[in-house]
Amino acid sequence: MKEIVVASGKGGTGKTTVASSLAVFLAKKGVKVFTADADVDAPDLLLTLGDGETTFSMEVRASKKAKVDVNKCIACGECVKVCPFGAMIKPDGKQAVSIELMCEGCGVCTLVCPTNAIEVSQAETGTLTVERTKYGFSCATGKLRLGEHNSGHLVATIKNIGRRKAQDAGSDIFIVDAAPGIGCPVIASITGADYVIAVTEPTPAAKKNLERLARVVKHFGVPAGVVINMSGYSADLEKSIKDWVSHELGFQLLGEIPVDYEVVKALVQMKPVIDFNPKAEASKALEKIANKIMGFL
Amino acid sequence: MKALKMKISNVPIVAVTGGKGGTGKTTVSVNLALGLVAHGLKVLLVDADVDGPCCATLLGKKLEVGEEVSTFLPVIDETKCVGCRSCVEACHEHALVGLQIEIPRLFEELCSGCKACQIVCKHGAIADGRKEIGFIYTEDFGDLKLIVGELKPSEPRSPIMARATVQKALNELQGGGWDVVIIDTSPGVHNTVAQALWVADLALAVTEPTPLGAHDLNFILDLASKLELPAEIVINKSNIPGGLKDDFFNIAKERKIAIAAEIPLDNELLRSYVSGEPLLKKPVNSPAARALSSLVHNILNKFEGAGKYGQR
Repeated sequence: MKEIVVASGKGGTGKTTVASSLAVFLAKKGVKVFTADADVDAPDLLLTLGDGETTFSMEVRASKKAKVDVNKCIACGECVKVCPFGAMIKPDGKQAVSIELMCEGCGVCTLVCPTNAIEVSQAETGTLTVERTKYGFSCATGKLRLGEHNSGHLVATIKNIGRRKAQDAGSDIFIVDAAPGIGCPVIASITGADYVIAVTEPTPAAKKNLERLARVVKHFGVPAGVVINMSGYSADLEKSIKDWVSHELGFQLLGEIPVDYEVVKALVQMKPVIDFNPKAEASKALEKIANKIMGFL
Repeated sequence: MKALKMKISNVPIVAVTGGKGGTGKTTVSVNLALGLVAHGLKVLLVDADVDGPCCATLLGKKLEVGEEVSTFLPVIDETKCVGCRSCVEACHEHALVGLQIEIPRLFEELCSGCKACQIVCKHGAIADGRKEIGFIYTEDFGDLKLIVGELKPSEPRSPIMARATVQKALNELQGGGWDVVIIDTSPGVHNTVAQALWVADLALAVTEPTPLGAHDLNFILDLASKLELPAEIVINKSNIPGGLKDDFFNIAKERKIAIAAEIPLDNELLRSYVSGEPLLKKPVNSPAARALSSLVHNILNKFEGAGKYGQR
């Protein structure tokens, strides 16, 4: 089984458009597909594929959080001084409070507390589910409590369970739709993958972020290819990106997807464009890219 | 939650955020900053999207010299370590690994720099080392100052980098002379975003009129509401065919929050985005430029009543 991660440094370049159409096209060609939505902050892959039938569900406790026992806290403020995330707050003269949204569970506060008033424990994170989509293949995703989103631990959990389920189902390909950015959740998505599809667009901002993503991908030694989405509105920039991808990055150019309002219509209808309108220019481009990916299997 | 927040500064801080990626956070941030400068304000623009900071790119500026941001990294003194494993047990990230009587091994990439290991070591065997995690760049444009946090690729600790960037801006505020702060956040609703929202007085949630935009908008509005941070909605690309603006009016109505602006996508905006020349840098009369200008007025009016300007 090949594990393929769809990533992009910049948000909104079309990761989900590529991942969903790739999955649907390959499934129609008889490839055994399994997918995971690793962007738990904006789980758009499952939304695009349509809610399916839940075939597996488990409680996840992927993150740890500090809690202050008000009966023991003497308001000394030592925890506030050491917290690397600014998650410990002590209003003037009052007892400390842990801001769970900012706590990463390192536990350093527990070590400096003179009265043992702080405990770090596994927090309830949410539910990890596997849904069978109407296209016949499955998608692993997380339904999470607010403030428990997109930690590296969580993405790693979704990916590991998704991968195991994909293997159990005898899948040929495991497609992971990653979060935007290059931080912990993205690193957790990329590590251990066989190939990264980096989706970009011909704009200076997207080029800059592709460069940053490329450095991460190279650091982890994963081979990668580039898809230029929304091509057509800046010919010069597009050419310079293409040259740079093949000559300097040394990544494969997988293809270009032209600006096409059928993609927007498909987005509004929440459908993979390849299913919404297989004859659209963007769908034809996606088909070519999918055929290249099929060649890797 | 709000009661816990110490008032950081009298200068209003606006966080531009949005849940989903690619909705136009940076476009709104940069144009809002320039629009406010055009009204005579001194604006601090903070790029806290440390994974992919693009404010400088949109301003057509190449960042030159950055200030290094680093975190603690344990350096084990093998002559002092007795192999007691207390550091191994204290490390929640499992960055230190070792058997009894062994000198622990450090997996640098897992270390969050929390110092737990150093605190528990009774033998003084853990010395201070540093790990570079990114850079903070400062660019002065006169009435506009840009502070950019940039995470080093392959480093995972975005929240720490975002926190350092926000802190740098707050330190700058201490010096006085600023009228408003605009913070451009990361996409998503994780800790990196919370670090920026925590210090803000208002969140502008930039979205696009698609079902995915609406879905992810609800996430970020929930986060703002958990932080008791007032929020308003900016509908970007408001003219896309078949767009579902009604959904957004319903979200706004249900949550009793305002729609601060509707920005149509036009050729002028697209050109400015591709060329690195912000739309509000020079007077342009296009539908998008007019919408952005009205957002600028909207923000001006909002904080003017509070009498926060004119502290220079």
